[in-house]
Amino acid sequence: MSNVTAPPLVPPETHAMVGEPLGEPVSAVITRREAQRYARAVGDLDPIYFDEAAARDAGYDGLVAPPTFVGHSVVEGATLSDLRGDGLWMDRGRKVRLGVSRSMFGGEEWEFFVPVLVGDTITAQRRLGAVEEKDGRSGPFVLLHYETTFTNQRDEVVAVSRLVGIAR
Amino acid sequence: MSGRSIADVAVGDELDVEIRNASRAQLFLYSAATHNPHRIHYDRDFAVSEGHPDVIVHGPLQGAWLSQYVTGWAGPRGRMLTLTWQNRRSALPEHDYAFRGVVRGIDGDVVTLEVWAEDGNGTVLMPGTATVRLPSS
Repeated sequence: MSNVTAPPLVPPETHAMVGEPLGEPVSAVITRREAQRYARAVGDLDPIYFDEAAARDAGYDGLVAPPTFVGHSVVEGATLSDLRGDGLWMDRGRKVRLGVSRSMFGGEEWEFFVPVLVGDTITAQRRLGAVEEKDGRSGPFVLLHYETTFTNQRDEVVAVSRLVGIAR
Repeated sequence: MSGRSIADVAVGDELDVEIRNASRAQLFLYSAATHNPHRIHYDRDFAVSEGHPDVIVHGPLQGAWLSQYVTGWAGPRGRMLTLTWQNRRSALPEHDYAFRGVVRGIDGDVVTLEVWAEDGNGTVLMPGTATVRLPSS
């Protein structure tokens, strides 16, 4: 047996962060322009996103934002000097340290409780839900589970996202 | 008003197939609209250096397509309650992907769907589930 041990994919300080908030809550107003820009970029031209009368006919109190847009509405970005080599933003809140660096999106689970409408103020709080080390065909990798709760200006939880990031 | 109601649905019903195919311009616009600077979606050399065959379609864009597939099926009076998906394989621009679904359960006015995206060989890239509340009539 060798005494040389590879550095762990998930260092102890990252395991210790599981369950904790990753930074402060972030708030944003849902604007018509951003929600519609997103809908057009997806290719989803549902009238409830573009025509207030259609949204009201469908039982909503105003123009609707696409369900999955809420996750993007609170993205603040950073300055160009804060981009990593792969283009991703450096973590703004608490940094999740890993022994691997290549990142991919692995999937998401959404619960939608209250429709998000244009004009709403959404607050997102993200937590590190779990960290799993796995062995795959092309080597070890890490699954990062992020849980984000989205509330509106009435303190109603509008949606919860459980997102899986893959790092390898 | 028109739209699907719970009476229109039976377990085992198959959803109509829809095809999605992202151009490179769409990947760019989606990155812009979501303020996503990840290079694997616009820098082919970089994507290859991370082991991808080309730039790849954003996992959340495929998820947004799945959301559109479900809400389109549900109609204007339907409400999507949950949506889950796994991005098991990468999707590439300028490739057709088929979105399919089956009604797996009905509990009162809530329908459970199995939904997924597959490539031209029938390989599933993205399995998923959704629950939708439909109007009673």
